[in-house]
Amino acid sequence: MKSYVAQRLGIAILTLVGMSIVIFTLLRLAPGDIVDILFSTAGYVNESEKQAILKELGMDRPYWIQYLDWMRQILTGDLGKSYRYDVPAWEVIRPLVPVTIELAVLSIIVAVVLGVPTGVISAVRQDTTLDYVLRVLSLAGLSMPSFWLGMVIILGMVSWLGWIPPLTYVKPTENFRAHAIQFALPALAVGYRSSALIMRITRSSLLEVMREDYIRTAWAKGQAERVVIWHHALKNAILPVVTVIGIEFAFLIGGLVVTETVFNLPGVARFLVQAILWRDYPIVQNLVMFIAIVVILSNLFVDMLYGVLDPRVRYGG
Amino acid sequence: MSRRRATISFVVVSLALVIAFGTPAISQTPKAGGTLNITQREDLPQGFAIHETSTISTVWPAMPCLNNLVLFDPLKKTESLDTIIGELAEKWSWQDNYRNLVFFLRKGVKWHDGQPFTSKDVKYTFDMLREAPDAPAKLRINPRKDWYTNVQTIEAPDPHTVIFHLKRPQPSLLMMLASGYTPVYAAHVPPANYRTACIGTGPFKLKEWRKGEFVEFVKNPDYFVKGRPYLDGLKYIVIAERGTRTAALQSGAVDVAFPGETTKTAAEQLKKAVPELAVTPYSQNVNDNIIMNMKKPPFNNAKVRLAVSRAIDRRALVQAVHQGGAVVGASMAPKPHGFWGLLDRDLNALPGYGKPADEKPRAKQLLAEAGVTPQNPLKVEMVTRAIAVYVDMASFVINELKQIGIEASLKQIETAQWHATATRGDYQIGANLTGIGPDDPDANYFENYACGSPRNYSFYCDEQVMKMIEQQSQELDPKKRFAQVAALQKKLEDDAARPLLDWKLDYFVHRPFVKNLIPHQSIYNFGRMQEVWRDK
Repeated sequence: MKSYVAQRLGIAILTLVGMSIVIFTLLRLAPGDIVDILFSTAGYVNESEKQAILKELGMDRPYWIQYLDWMRQILTGDLGKSYRYDVPAWEVIRPLVPVTIELAVLSIIVAVVLGVPTGVISAVRQDTTLDYVLRVLSLAGLSMPSFWLGMVIILGMVSWLGWIPPLTYVKPTENFRAHAIQFALPALAVGYRSSALIMRITRSSLLEVMREDYIRTAWAKGQAERVVIWHHALKNAILPVVTVIGIEFAFLIGGLVVTETVFNLPGVARFLVQAILWRDYPIVQNLVMFIAIVVILSNLFVDMLYGVLDPRVRYGG
Repeated sequence: MSRRRATISFVVVSLALVIAFGTPAISQTPKAGGTLNITQREDLPQGFAIHETSTISTVWPAMPCLNNLVLFDPLKKTESLDTIIGELAEKWSWQDNYRNLVFFLRKGVKWHDGQPFTSKDVKYTFDMLREAPDAPAKLRINPRKDWYTNVQTIEAPDPHTVIFHLKRPQPSLLMMLASGYTPVYAAHVPPANYRTACIGTGPFKLKEWRKGEFVEFVKNPDYFVKGRPYLDGLKYIVIAERGTRTAALQSGAVDVAFPGETTKTAAEQLKKAVPELAVTPYSQNVNDNIIMNMKKPPFNNAKVRLAVSRAIDRRALVQAVHQGGAVVGASMAPKPHGFWGLLDRDLNALPGYGKPADEKPRAKQLLAEAGVTPQNPLKVEMVTRAIAVYVDMASFVINELKQIGIEASLKQIETAQWHATATRGDYQIGANLTGIGPDDPDANYFENYACGSPRNYSFYCDEQVMKMIEQQSQELDPKKRFAQVAALQKKLEDDAARPLLDWKLDYFVHRPFVKNLIPHQSIYNFGRMQEVWRDK
């Protein structure tokens, strides 16, 4: 087990190094840089002034030196300075992380709470009216982009209640109720879409397991439906569902751009897009690395979870 | 009528008016207190460093923290030499036939960090802006350096007097000094610090800037104007999504819209949803225009340029692209939105401003004279910024050009590359937007039409025009100057220097209890918030 984790972490480090090279290169391949944007806000361009700013930001140095400098900064825990804000990048990134993680976790909780039971019910009541209704609802969830649903929720709130959720981040320690409301609506919008996916996977996986001999044996032994479904069938059907949950969580960390924008939540994804538009390399590079780390760790966590859920799974050295 | 009878009649009429319309004088007495929530469409691009940027996204939220020497009266819609009031300057005086501008500064003014404000700060700011050889500091980016080319030296003979010595008379220098673009920086604070914080003398002090979220100000208790500001604080909330901004206004989560953001259609929808909202149409002092690179064929040919100008039906563009939320005008904002605009009679006589049925055949004739025929069509690439307001305008213009035989393809340029492309002249023809600070010819012409100016994207350079620009700039007689500016506008349109299409209107929206927030003739000049109060 330990050697497996060590091996995975070794691969993770190589992946992160590869990732850093890709993001560093892609950013430099995109046309324009922060200095072009700064001049854009001023409405003119002056070449000599541009060169001076490039030098001030260290962007006049060869790319490989800039890359090594970034790696050195990461290793020393210094993420550099935001080009746009002229403050340490960590100061900008730090408040974003908890917002996105909280939203992603809440969305996944909503997705699991809605998706797994409805998937089970749909499988158990296959081809009944209830099954059709749940399948239509899940298809609707997959078809509706969460940002669209979010905007509909906001417009509905304004039209019917004359109210919208808080527009600036409310800390739970400041006002827990406002905080909960602020996160509940986007979590519902995002969680509904994810729940649809989870519901469909749960249903198909469970249907497959339900046709297995040992389930037929359990039925023949006269075991209660609750025991057969929840203890025998679902336990074996849950592995692909866990995989999907892991993938969804990793996706949500970087994929909440529009939801965060619509609900005006200061999270990682919304900020990442702004940073890309501003070519704020230190912010973009470090946020992408953060997202990559979350994806790697969530994958590792899911793989570890397999061993807990299915005793047949053994980790090789 | 006897005097007594007249007095009784006056009293009776006054009482009747009071009964009919209430008692506005009493209900309009400003109330102190409260915080205003204000929309901010994006995070501050350069912090509070107004001198290093031109965008309203910086000027709007940074103005409450700072002061100018002089400012356009926040309570008056019109911006002119007559509506300028003192801020850090208590009085000013022109001397030596408008060659010296002397400012007498207020005493006892303090920066937000407690340091005293003196003439040293004024000299420091304007020496830095005009890039004087002995300037103690340099701005990273200096977009309005050209405003101060006529300033020869700045003298600070004592802590409360500053003298601007000019090379030649320039009465409208005051107009530029009164713009929201022209705050005084503290000499003891490096200019780079304004990108992250704000040490000003203004009515509000910076409390917190949470990046990407909000900027919060609190009342400056030491403000030099007694009893101001009325409000306890301001909160500029960053709302990047347009739909959320509208919902926030509708629900009352914000009290004030972002200037320059509300189209006529959006304002109508908002008003329908919330009838009590106050909506004020005003000129943003931002125009749609066509830039044509005169360094390269085919637009180095005046006939081709003029054909393009004549081809575009400006009134149809106002309807199609802005749904009526813009007005047609030449290179100065048209009346009643601007002071210098041409009269309708003169405007309609300009090339491109007449009836489309007359203009398009003339455009075809001009193209034919330039050698463009159906057998030898003109194919060009039209560039524009990859933002909806630019692309909509460009698409309309492309369709108009097609009708006279010019085949234009559209190329969208990302914001990061847009100004570089225009400044370097890496284009043939482009659809562009130009924002102008104060409604004054000097602020416009030196920047956008003068030979060698970095924002003269068309590379238009005409000796006669340069003389006309200089001449109007130093004219002391307002009537004569008005006539000179009118002649200049005609000349620029005749030359198709940078054909003007329309001047955009903003439909500024705020909650009804927000008082004394009066949009001016330009979005850049009314953000001080010193006089604003909540009637709630």
